[in-house]
Amino acid sequence: MTSFGDRILGLGLLVLAVVYGWAAQQWPEPFGGAEGVGPETFPTILSVVLVAGSLYLMIRPDPDAQWPVGKSALELSISLVVLVVYTLLLEPLGFVISTTLAVGTLSWRMGGAPLKAFMTGLVSAVVVFVLFNYGLSLSLPGGLLEVN
Amino acid sequence: METLSFLMEGFAVALTPYNLMFALFGAFVGTLIGCLPGLGPANGVAILIPLAFTLGLPPETAMILLTSVYAGAMYGGRISSILLNIPGDEPAMMTCLDGYPMAQQGRAADALAISAVASFTGGLIGTIGLIMLAPILAKFALTFGPAEYFALFMLAFATLGGITGKNPMKTVIAATLGIMVSTVGIDISTGTQRYTFDILELYEGIDFILAIVGLFAISELLFFVESRMGGGRKKMTVGKITLSFRELVSTIPTQLRGGVLGFIAGVLPGAGASLGSFISYTLEKQVLGKKGTFGEGDIRGVAAPEAGNNGASSGALVPMLTLGVPGSGTTAVLLAMLISLNITPGPLMFTQNADIVWGVIAALLIGNVLLLVLNIPLVGLFVRLLSIPPMYLLPIVTMVAFVGVYSISHSTFDLYFMVAFGVAGYFLRKLEIPLVPVILGLLLGPEMEKNLGHALVLSDGDWSVLWSSPLSIGLWLVAGLGLVLPVLVGPILRRRMHAAMKESPVSD
Repeated sequence: MTSFGDRILGLGLLVLAVVYGWAAQQWPEPFGGAEGVGPETFPTILSVVLVAGSLYLMIRPDPDAQWPVGKSALELSISLVVLVVYTLLLEPLGFVISTTLAVGTLSWRMGGAPLKAFMTGLVSAVVVFVLFNYGLSLSLPGGLLEVN
Repeated sequence: METLSFLMEGFAVALTPYNLMFALFGAFVGTLIGCLPGLGPANGVAILIPLAFTLGLPPETAMILLTSVYAGAMYGGRISSILLNIPGDEPAMMTCLDGYPMAQQGRAADALAISAVASFTGGLIGTIGLIMLAPILAKFALTFGPAEYFALFMLAFATLGGITGKNPMKTVIAATLGIMVSTVGIDISTGTQRYTFDILELYEGIDFILAIVGLFAISELLFFVESRMGGGRKKMTVGKITLSFRELVSTIPTQLRGGVLGFIAGVLPGAGASLGSFISYTLEKQVLGKKGTFGEGDIRGVAAPEAGNNGASSGALVPMLTLGVPGSGTTAVLLAMLISLNITPGPLMFTQNADIVWGVIAALLIGNVLLLVLNIPLVGLFVRLLSIPPMYLLPIVTMVAFVGVYSISHSTFDLYFMVAFGVAGYFLRKLEIPLVPVILGLLLGPEMEKNLGHALVLSDGDWSVLWSSPLSIGLWLVAGLGLVLPVLVGPILRRRMHAAMKESPVSD
């Protein structure tokens, strides 16, 4: 059993803790002079705690979890890309179109039949859009389907 | 007597048709959240928070809605435990032991009915305990100074991993990460910009709601994608109720014991609902030992853990409402709602926002009745929904989370942040860093810093003020125990819980 996961995490956290703590020391002294507790006091404590924690992780790491490889890793990246592209297209394309595509793709990649998956996307998108825009009068972007 | 009149006022708040409607809606949605795969109670409540905001609900209504969801989720968790031997949420684990064998013997309907009644009893006992204990604790908490609060926060973090937690160091790391995120933004006392990188959106800090939704909802989706558990479950038949009145009566002592034990476990830091149901079940087994058929479908084996976990869920509200320090993931999410409503949780809430506190407590009582009434006739509906495959459900849930977060600020910047938190949540969960302390850190970080500052200003910069009063020393000691005990006792308890699970006939 390897335990690279915790070691890498520990290293990352150590870097984070040091940078975080260092940045806290760079702030200008607040207006009115220094007091017992400045804006940097609390972050400095946190950075010390995290340094200790990350060192512990590197010295006594837990055994590794099963990391996704091959197909699962690919599916994971696809889902992430879908989420980012969904956010990107939400306003330009409008809620209904982008949601149909996003929910449809996700369902399909999770194992749904393509037609059924995109139908689920379309129906849920329309229901939520109508519910929000007309029922609750909160405006979701209409995008391409906007009727002026 | 004072309590009683407050409670009456609470009922006056909770019984208005508007609030009653939301309580009913919350109870229904909560049960769904509890029984659906991939939607835990903390996750479900988190997704509903932005929606409660955008609906513009008044604070008491929003809290009533979310507490009903919380109570409902505890009811819902048992349905898949009994029918599928898969606990809907962690506290429902013990219900599998006798619930599933009962279902295999064709007594699924009986198991569901008895567990609904036991949930009701447990919830009722827990809520009565809450009504009696909370005002006393709130009065006591008024004597806390900033130093005591600081120690109390430490205690909350230290015990959050729970006695059954694995690696306390990972709890510490998780909490620190959460607090670090909360320091982003303009410092409230001095106006210094901290970690804003001159990005305008960061000046106000990172909204913890989108962090919570991202950490829970998005990481859950990623987990499902990874394990490809998208397929549905086979349809279940429930059958008719054959439970006799005598059988029901015979479980009353069990329910009472379970409810009381659960409540105590819920109030205590570090125990929580899972331990509550575990203790209730084990105690029942000890008490009735030879007279029962535990593990083979004894109705008392269903009643005990259900009463226990519902008692515990009400008990867990005690520290959250009186001290502003939640002891579990879901109560942490409820705290997030309170903070975003601009209500400072803690002892002052009982005087300043009495209508909200007592409205919520009254809503819990009403919610329990509603849930009992909902659960017995509607169980068929819930069972049918249980067979919705996650591959259709989870993308829709994710989309609702997007809509909720988007509708708060109408900015896609927040959505990217949410996705980023989701990815971070996925990695943290993979590395077994618990998420609940991260969230608690996000929520309590600013309060902690404020109290530290106040304490040090009062003492003129003398750090020993933090451990100078007997009360704060006591709190520090318990906090220390909270970190040490899991290392000593944890493995034994975990092994026992595991052994109990193994004894039961495994499915298929």
